[in-house]
Amino acid sequence: MTVTLGDPVVEELRGILGHDHVLTGKADRLNRTRVPAPFPVHRWAERMPDLVVLPSSTEEVAEVLRLAHAHRIPVVPRDGGTGLTDGAVPLRGGIVVDVKRINQIKEIDLENRTCTVGTGINALKLNEVLSRHGLLYPDDPASYPCSLVGGRIGTSGWSLIGSRYGHTRDLVLSFDHVLPTGRVIHVGDGIGRKITKSSSGYQLKHLFMGHQGTLGIATEATLKLFPKPEAEFSPFWAFDDYDTAYRTVGQLARAGVATFAGAVLFDEWKVAYLRRDDEAYIPQPASVKALVCAALYGYEDEVRAGGGRLMRIARSMGARYLGDEISQGDWAARHDRYATPLHGRTRSGQVVPMSWHCEDAAINYTNLPAVRLAWHEIADRLRRASDVFDDWGMFAYTNGATGADYLTEIDIGIWEQRLDDAAWAAWVAAKRDLAAVALAHGGSISACHGSCREGEVDLVPEELGGGFDVMLAIKRAIDPHNIMNPGKYLLDRAYSDAYPDPDGAP
Amino acid sequence: MPDPEKRFAEEWRDAAYNCFSSGHKFCREVCPVMQVTRNESWSPTAFHANVVAMEQGSLEVSDVAADYVNCTGCGACELRCPNSLFTGDFYRFRTRTVDLVKGVRSLAVRQGVHQPGWQRWNELTAERTHEPVADGVSQERVRDWAQGLDLTVGGETILFVDCEAAFYRPSVPRSVARVLELAGYKFGLMNEQWCCGGPAAEMGYEDQARRFAEHNLADWRAAGVRRVLVLDPHDYITFTEDYPKYFGESFDIEVVLVVELLAALIREGRLVPHLPVERTVTYHDPCRLNKRKGIWQEPREVLRAIPGLTFHDVDRVSQWSYCSGAGGGLAVEKPELTAKISEMRMGKAAELGVDTLVTACPWAERPLTAAGEARSIGVVDLHELLAESLGVAP
Repeated sequence: MTVTLGDPVVEELRGILGHDHVLTGKADRLNRTRVPAPFPVHRWAERMPDLVVLPSSTEEVAEVLRLAHAHRIPVVPRDGGTGLTDGAVPLRGGIVVDVKRINQIKEIDLENRTCTVGTGINALKLNEVLSRHGLLYPDDPASYPCSLVGGRIGTSGWSLIGSRYGHTRDLVLSFDHVLPTGRVIHVGDGIGRKITKSSSGYQLKHLFMGHQGTLGIATEATLKLFPKPEAEFSPFWAFDDYDTAYRTVGQLARAGVATFAGAVLFDEWKVAYLRRDDEAYIPQPASVKALVCAALYGYEDEVRAGGGRLMRIARSMGARYLGDEISQGDWAARHDRYATPLHGRTRSGQVVPMSWHCEDAAINYTNLPAVRLAWHEIADRLRRASDVFDDWGMFAYTNGATGADYLTEIDIGIWEQRLDDAAWAAWVAAKRDLAAVALAHGGSISACHGSCREGEVDLVPEELGGGFDVMLAIKRAIDPHNIMNPGKYLLDRAYSDAYPDPDGAP
Repeated sequence: MPDPEKRFAEEWRDAAYNCFSSGHKFCREVCPVMQVTRNESWSPTAFHANVVAMEQGSLEVSDVAADYVNCTGCGACELRCPNSLFTGDFYRFRTRTVDLVKGVRSLAVRQGVHQPGWQRWNELTAERTHEPVADGVSQERVRDWAQGLDLTVGGETILFVDCEAAFYRPSVPRSVARVLELAGYKFGLMNEQWCCGGPAAEMGYEDQARRFAEHNLADWRAAGVRRVLVLDPHDYITFTEDYPKYFGESFDIEVVLVVELLAALIREGRLVPHLPVERTVTYHDPCRLNKRKGIWQEPREVLRAIPGLTFHDVDRVSQWSYCSGAGGGLAVEKPELTAKISEMRMGKAAELGVDTLVTACPWAERPLTAAGEARSIGVVDLHELLAESLGVAP
């Protein structure tokens, strides 16, 4: 149910934040609902918050939440708004807490190699400052130029070079977190702050990461820093068939090269798409059906040695190295390419404006080929049913240096100008089917984006089993009035009569 | 929805959806307004998304006109847009946020939605045929800056001097004139020089902009002008982008940017800077040169030719996020925002340990100078610096 905010609340908020930082205009609200996730644009107006606040400190966020808690007003945190799950989209109106103004660099600790920042800062901007000290915060999502640290915490994001440095959950040491009641806690390993490993108590840091804004708002974070790499090597290899490329990427990952930062596998649909519609793609002979890239980061001498080993492995598998220029260019374009595909094609070949949507899952290496085929079948079904959809192929990204599991994503083009209820329903059904395939193959619905969108969210209880009941119990304990991002992750069930017995009866 | 809005939404529909669909907002962290306000409503991508909302009937221009004030027209967003970076030629599509902002502003004015500062500014400009950049600005004083320089009026090549330089910073055009004379480069002054009309176009007062353009072109034609020298980056945009739009192929005037001309004269040995200028400097790329026209090498050629300078440069891509905040009419409507953006820019200069920031844009100079005072960093115009090294400072 949508809560309409009365004037007294608006005035109270203005008292907390100042007049200019409480926004009630239509455009202000519309622009705080938009994310790059699949979005029923024809029903955009249904996702509007009642107002937007722009706090500048932890204390202001806490006061806003105390007020919202007292008045039972829904609150949705918004950071970069670049998430591919609907975390930042309000479903019940209420207040959007946009943290972009909390973007100060509070401390750079050169001795302990940490920095403490407001969560409204972006890794690119932070690294502009850190580079003067020869340091790097290596959280490198596709949205690196515009995602914010707080959003990375709220979604527990993925880093493209995570095999070398870890993903967001590893890189964020601790953070200030405002609970739905307005209480501020600091979570990390044990005492948190700059400690990287502790066995004290429950591991609360992980609980407050990836909750998609359902458990509160992170406002100030302490991050782990690394020496700015002296060298980067990012070879791209071409293959005549997917199977060889797949076996090669496994070999590269399992080689255990210390500077190995990640590998990416492009399947034949992806190569066909790039060949067809990506101007930046450097034309390859028609025989090229799949691509693999690897990235290594570190000191010059160790990267050269590690790179040599990976080159030998790839060559022994029959890979064709695409040369330094193509390799460096393609890797350098890794962020921009994500947002590039703004056009797709209808079945008759007509170029139309399309948006890029990707569905991801965590899949063990051994199950990648089977999941890939099943997913393309689902995409093909969508495409046969409607010109609204286009299949843009798949990527698989290594998670860690062991090569055990992969972020695998299928990219679907959606012609948003033609979205209607029928197309939207087909899309939601397809997402549910994609998630079901991941679970059937022992995977997880999401390796990186979260899984609280329409469609796949239906299967979350199945994936988590008894863990989902624990999730419900935690949600109710921490957010007694369900004000934080209500409607997400099926967590409304925590407040219904059907809520599981707290004594554990089924 | 009123008809003009409907037509506007139709015209910009595909571009708006292309931006909307891309989803990621790489433009955001390079946008100068966004960097200092952190208000997503004023981000380049929001300016496109609003068009989608207009098309759906969720917004009218009166709801958003005030938001579109918050743009300096620097063009950083366009450069940083992955759509422009990768797909431009293939799809014959380039993100044109600056044009979109101008379009919404002009739609607002056509619909009778005015911003008070801009409305006043354009009324005064219409009255005086010059922008109100200083007290006592009038048509009679338009060539005062050239007093004592013994320059003729008219000829095949003339020097066009913008309102800010002509009235507020006369030593800049004087330096340009003296340097060109030293090189033996022939040029005259404009007969009756009106404002170029660019700022009016940027603020949405299109009819006025066109009226000024028509006057200037007619004046040039009557005097047999074939070539116009321009020292102000804003004029350069107006003459190379707006005028061809107004007049089509019949616009047959060659437009020459003075900085490019000076770099060529130095290259040819016709100008040899020889007096050392002992300063530690960095260079502020005017947005309309670096970001919108890709002109960044020539100003550096000029700087590197000046002996005695210690030049600390930063890479060109980083400079995509730099702006003085003075463009696009922002300083007229929201001077406090311009000041913040200038302070941020000056902070970048301070990090380099310089004592001087060199500009090549008269409009940028005023707010940057104010910001520099707090950090004891001086602001100097590139043309003036060159004149000093050539021994012809005005």
